[in-house]
Amino acid sequence: MKISMRLAVAATLLAFGSARAADAIKIGLMAPLTGSWASEGQEMKRNVELLAAEQNARGGLLGKRVEIVVEDDGGDPRTASLAAQRLTTRGVVAVVGTYGSAVTEATQAILDEAGIVQVANGSTAVRLTEKRLKYFFRTCPRDDEQGRVGAAVLEKGGAKRIALLHDSSAYAKGLADEIAATLRAHRANVVFFDALTPKEQDYSAILTRLKAAKPDVVFFTGYYPEAGLLLKQKRQMGWKVPFIGGDAVNNPDLVKIAGKDAAAGFRFLSPPVPKDLDTAEARAYVASYRKRYGEAPSSIYGVLAADGFRVIAKAIETSRSTDPDKLRQVLVGGLKDFPGFTGKIAFNGKGDRVGELYRVYEVSPSGSFVLQK
Amino acid sequence: MPNRTMTRGLGIAYAIAAAAVAAAPLALNAYWIDVLNSVGLYVLLALSLNLILGDAGLFNMGHAAFYAVGAYTSAILNTRLEIPILWTLPASALVAALFAALVARPVVHLRGDYLLVVTIGLGEIVRIALVNDVFGLTGGANGLFGISRPTIFGHRLTSRKPQEFLYLIWAFVAVTVFLFHRLEQSRFGRALNYLREDPIAAEGSGVNTARYRLLAFALGAAWAGMTGTLYAAKMTIISPESFGSWESVVIFLMVILGGAGSIPGVMLGAALVVILPELFRGFASARLLVFGLVMMVMMVFRPQGLLPYRLLRFKESDLRRAEDAP
Repeated sequence: MKISMRLAVAATLLAFGSARAADAIKIGLMAPLTGSWASEGQEMKRNVELLAAEQNARGGLLGKRVEIVVEDDGGDPRTASLAAQRLTTRGVVAVVGTYGSAVTEATQAILDEAGIVQVANGSTAVRLTEKRLKYFFRTCPRDDEQGRVGAAVLEKGGAKRIALLHDSSAYAKGLADEIAATLRAHRANVVFFDALTPKEQDYSAILTRLKAAKPDVVFFTGYYPEAGLLLKQKRQMGWKVPFIGGDAVNNPDLVKIAGKDAAAGFRFLSPPVPKDLDTAEARAYVASYRKRYGEAPSSIYGVLAADGFRVIAKAIETSRSTDPDKLRQVLVGGLKDFPGFTGKIAFNGKGDRVGELYRVYEVSPSGSFVLQK
Repeated sequence: MPNRTMTRGLGIAYAIAAAAVAAAPLALNAYWIDVLNSVGLYVLLALSLNLILGDAGLFNMGHAAFYAVGAYTSAILNTRLEIPILWTLPASALVAALFAALVARPVVHLRGDYLLVVTIGLGEIVRIALVNDVFGLTGGANGLFGISRPTIFGHRLTSRKPQEFLYLIWAFVAVTVFLFHRLEQSRFGRALNYLREDPIAAEGSGVNTARYRLLAFALGAAWAGMTGTLYAAKMTIISPESFGSWESVVIFLMVILGGAGSIPGVMLGAALVVILPELFRGFASARLLVFGLVMMVMMVFRPQGLLPYRLLRFKESDLRRAEDAP
């Protein structure tokens, strides 16, 4: 009884929503609102809804209201394919999202076949754009981009003997492979390439083996719990060679595990955290986000979703149309240095973002992460 | 002979359901057709678990493991050896059945909650093995991609036309329902029911307990494996997160909610568990909360399931006919 009443209420709300939406431009948001990535999904929703409200306050797009159609992908490919099918039946002109690579992949073909522009925000797997889908774009970098940047940072540091350590996970091993390939192509000397076993408590054996290889620098591509322990035990051994990490170590718990003394001076690559976004627009945006929600955005992927919404809005305004081919034309050719919150945005023909997003961070003696200019 | 009037009623219900599914593309949009596809896949999974959980009374909460084994078998055969995806159906059934027989052999003597705990562990082991890229074949956390679309009589099925998958999946459901009804009424099916009601009495009447339980596991796993093939064919990508412990819980829930041991009940359970969260999409992030509430209310008011299993009833006329039979 209660349930049927609720259903009726929900149905009425939906009906009203669609009646009102006759003169609106609908943009879909596909996000993991439930499941293990729910916090990312909720943040994506907050970002995009805030931007849509601001856009409407400025008079909308092409004189029409912007309406955000949110669908939950559950962080699971099956649910995501349903969410994408549902978006295709609700008259959206473009879709922002989503987070996980496999999840995005399940939706790509559906949206592409329906002629809907999709701008993913957290799916970094290389293969997504290698399929050359016409209407697929992403605001996040690809996995191989970090490898390239990592190799460049190592070479710039002037290290002669380089050690690479990963943890056999698909992500960490892929990144280590990528760095090693770039370094070897440049004839740099990789003296160590091996994996540790995640979730152990004692890494002194692998550290001893590393030390025996006499590297000038060690790049660890795994996650923060292991990185923290490595730093702590490295200090206990009295070994002073610098360590560098990939973006999976970007978590405050790193310092808690390692201790401030051991973590100080540790550097890692990461997209900028929201508080370090440096353009005037980004600072204004973070301020208005704080005003609306009482806190600053915590995840870069939420801000990348915001950038996804903004490039779509820009493309609609520039082309004065919602035709997917015209939108693509603007996104690929006409976005010279669009000032995104996360830096300048332009897309290449594959739909990948052009330009560097990764920055170098260093742990300060007080344990905070400081952006290196 | 089972109560014939009930069978006739059920036959009519099936005919109506089949006609409704066949006519669905005329009335529903692509999204709801795809929801029906999901329902079909879960009906198959729930029916396969029903053999183990409903008919044999073995608490298996790791059913997604067999589903995963089937899906990965198909995906690996298809992407590495380029075998057409539907031709891999027997292979995934066989591999899933062998896997189930192998892992169930040491544990089938366990009862109730003990077996439940073991099977939860099994499901986790399979998922973690897939994430760790076991034998270098499963693609790790990224999963396998580039699985080819199925081709039937030279016609390629695509995601643009979900109604084509609708017919493929629901044809498989129809065959399954028919076979499982036959199985239910066979010596094998009844032996499983004895086992569920009273294993000691069953053993006393000459039912080989361990053998029948293993067979139930193997058969249920084979069907889950074939469902995995259909899933891989439909999605063209598979990744470990599709086969987590939550998936096992959901399939378990469908069987219990619908009525363990009852084929129409289990089908109804699967349909509700898939369709309700879709209906509640209007509640956005609270949709699983509402869904959970509905589940709780249903279990409180109908603990035996929506369409519970009915014991076979015999009329006196049946008895007389049996006595008269030569």
